[in-house]
Amino acid sequence: MRSFIYALIALTLTAAAASAGFFDEVQKFTKPDSKESQYLSGATQLLSSSKEVDYKTERVIGESLALEGLQRFGNPVKNEPLQQYVNLVGNAVAGNSKRATIPYQFAVLDSQVQNAFAVPGGVIFVSRALVSILEDESELAAVLAHEIGHVAGKHALKSTRRAQFFQGVGTITAASVGGDKGKKFASAIGDMQAVLFDKGLDKDMEYEADLAAMESTYRTGYDPSAMIRVLQKLQRIEASSTNKKGSWFSTHPPLDERIARLQNQLQKYPDYSSLAVVRERFSKHAITGK
Amino acid sequence: MRITRSMARSMVGAAIMLLLAVTAMAEGKRWVSSEGTTLKSEASATSENVADLNVGTELTVVESGGRWLKVRTAGGKEGWVYAGRVSETPPTAEVAGDDGLFGGSMQKSQINTAKADSARSIRGLSPEATKYAKDRGTPEVYKKALDTVLARKVSAKELKAFLKEGKIGEYAQVNGGGK
Repeated sequence: MRSFIYALIALTLTAAAASAGFFDEVQKFTKPDSKESQYLSGATQLLSSSKEVDYKTERVIGESLALEGLQRFGNPVKNEPLQQYVNLVGNAVAGNSKRATIPYQFAVLDSQVQNAFAVPGGVIFVSRALVSILEDESELAAVLAHEIGHVAGKHALKSTRRAQFFQGVGTITAASVGGDKGKKFASAIGDMQAVLFDKGLDKDMEYEADLAAMESTYRTGYDPSAMIRVLQKLQRIEASSTNKKGSWFSTHPPLDERIARLQNQLQKYPDYSSLAVVRERFSKHAITGK
Repeated sequence: MRITRSMARSMVGAAIMLLLAVTAMAEGKRWVSSEGTTLKSEASATSENVADLNVGTELTVVESGGRWLKVRTAGGKEGWVYAGRVSETPPTAEVAGDDGLFGGSMQKSQINTAKADSARSIRGLSPEATKYAKDRGTPEVYKKALDTVLARKVSAKELKAFLKEGKIGEYAQVNGGGK
């Protein structure tokens, strides 16, 4: 985009230089009220509006969403060894993800719905109901790595039609979350909540996070087929479940399609079955779904 | 068939091209893409440390030994690195480059690694999110719960010990990982 604008400016300047004195034309650009100067200022604004949301802003958005998530799904379970364990597994795969340089925190929530979600900036939640159906550490690693895939791809941020608001904000300050701006901020958070907790992310983002999960579990040294095993477990639950609201299968694309894509991807890892699953250590932290 | 001088010249040329191509393939480039990557003296996690490698460091593959690669740094240091810790393309940037909203290039990422490192000092709920909670009337119990979640951290040392205990990745036995 920038190079296109530069090219346009260069082309304009060249044409102008050919028809009149080159320096006269340049001067027009430097006069604040001139039409030419306004064009240039418009182009600059266009460039600055396409700046990325910085990490601090992303983190504030994430924390605000996390507060909403806790109210909806419940507080973290009071089991410090389990929470520490989930943080170790999560950080192990995060270090081998596409976005390894930001801090990640993980927590198991006291929720009976099989679900996991990530907010921008690296805070990731998984429900006790989802953990309770897992059988080994590689499966937990796969679920967490899928959510890390969403953080790395900045999927939640890309999903809100109010993304423009955050881009305009630059670095967020307490002033940006208060007053009139605060109303817009809250409304943008509301938008993202609807996507994350109700509608679900775009299906291509889910496929991307699945493949990212397989890649980062493999690179860490976990059996990457764990992601397929988790989805197969959910498939069995889905078949017998009447209330699917808010679960991983209601907010995600069809499980059979996800499994098919992952099985295809598994061919990339011919030695997968020799990798770690770590059943025993996982079973020490086993929890029930209720 | 009689081989003319020009034919011989083309054949030598083709052979040189093939040799160069093979060398290029063997000497593939890799980039460090995991935090806490160490260059080892042998293809084993228990061997001596040669150097600590930052994310984004470019490496030249000298020899491949399954899950371990013998590599050379730009500074000429040679050693072994666990294949899971490197990738065939440079890791993506932390902030966008010129090419759009969320894209970026590795050059930018160098700066942003430092930026993200400073982000590591973020502990607990930010003043901005605290204000958001106050304005929204978020019950105190959720604020405190999130504050605890955000304050939890895992050190590089703890992570290494955890992977070692689980026989995962570079700490796996020769025939695979922890079961």
